[in-house]
Amino acid sequence: MHPTDTEQDFLQLILANKGIILKICQLYCPDRADREDLTQDIIYQLWRSAGRYNKEYRFTTWMYRVALNTAISFYRTDRQRTTLPLSPLHLTIEEAADPIGTERLAGLQHCIQGLKELDRALILLYFEEKTYQDMAEIMGLSETNVATRLSRVKEKLKKCVQSQVK
Amino acid sequence: MELTNLWKQYDQTLERANILNLQSWVLHLQTLELLKTEKAKSRLRSLGNCKKGMIVIGILWVAFLIFLLANSIAVSKIFFALSVAAVLGFSIYSVLAYVWHIVLIDEIDNSESLMEVQKKTATLKASTLNSTRILFLQTPFYSTFFWNWQWMSHDPKFWYIAFPVTLLLTAASIWLYRNIDIRNADKKWFKMLFSGKDWTSVIRAMKYLDEIEEYKKDLPQ
Repeated sequence: MHPTDTEQDFLQLILANKGIILKICQLYCPDRADREDLTQDIIYQLWRSAGRYNKEYRFTTWMYRVALNTAISFYRTDRQRTTLPLSPLHLTIEEAADPIGTERLAGLQHCIQGLKELDRALILLYFEEKTYQDMAEIMGLSETNVATRLSRVKEKLKKCVQSQVK
Repeated sequence: MELTNLWKQYDQTLERANILNLQSWVLHLQTLELLKTEKAKSRLRSLGNCKKGMIVIGILWVAFLIFLLANSIAVSKIFFALSVAAVLGFSIYSVLAYVWHIVLIDEIDNSESLMEVQKKTATLKASTLNSTRILFLQTPFYSTFFWNWQWMSHDPKFWYIAFPVTLLLTAASIWLYRNIDIRNADKKWFKMLFSGKDWTSVIRAMKYLDEIEEYKKDLPQ
């Protein structure tokens, strides 16, 4: 199925994969208002790019590429809010009452958010249990490079989390 | 292993988040109002619109220079004509650079790999600095418009003032062309020359471009 044969099909795909979008937004946008804007941007970019969806790749690979590219570009741009909250054109995210929970989880989030944009994408893909081949396709790197970089990022993250807990 | 377990807990907390009005938002995606808003919102597109505006101004400027050149081709006005021709060359370069940027903007497809898209986006921003350093080379020609044979042969002021000024501008523009480089971004003169929010983002893009190139290199295991 083409991802956007109709808005309903597209909606189903977004609902089925909303976790991916929300996780990416959380890791690239500490600020809640920005996060809502980014969520909106990612869904819109997915809608726009759907026509160019290449069936050679898995749907999630395509989705990760679009979402991560949008998030990194969003993160790197000085921006102003584009739609006002309460406007029908504004997406609203309802977070869990205690979104981060323990200190250790807050520490993990802080450490991931402290990584460079590309390292952050790599570690997210690792945590999402993507294979080296998938990661290489999404990132545009060789598998060897993915493996080496990943082990360095994991090491960095481990040290950071440990220092946060102490 | 511990990191993965920690992530799983983190993941569960994020899974509890919900997008409230997703359904109505998606179902409105094709309405004109939303598309218009989102179209205006796209940062890359607005960058493209800004560049389109610059192309229009550039074309008008080029047309004016061609008009000047066409009306000054004579031996008596040789320096004026040569100066206009040089500035015209640089102006045409600028217009073509802006056209190339628009082509690059249209080529950016977010569904390509992260390395490809990020490189294209950063190249686009960073190219502003490259164009600027090339445009500095035209500076000396703004001091040669009013040169003429008579002034050169009869007025010593030409050799004491006008000619040294042109030499100075030539040296300065070549120096700037060679030194406007991201490696000098931390130097005081560079910061003075390229201060302001727009330049900061261009410089950030250049640094990012270096980072991307570095990232693509296979590391020793």
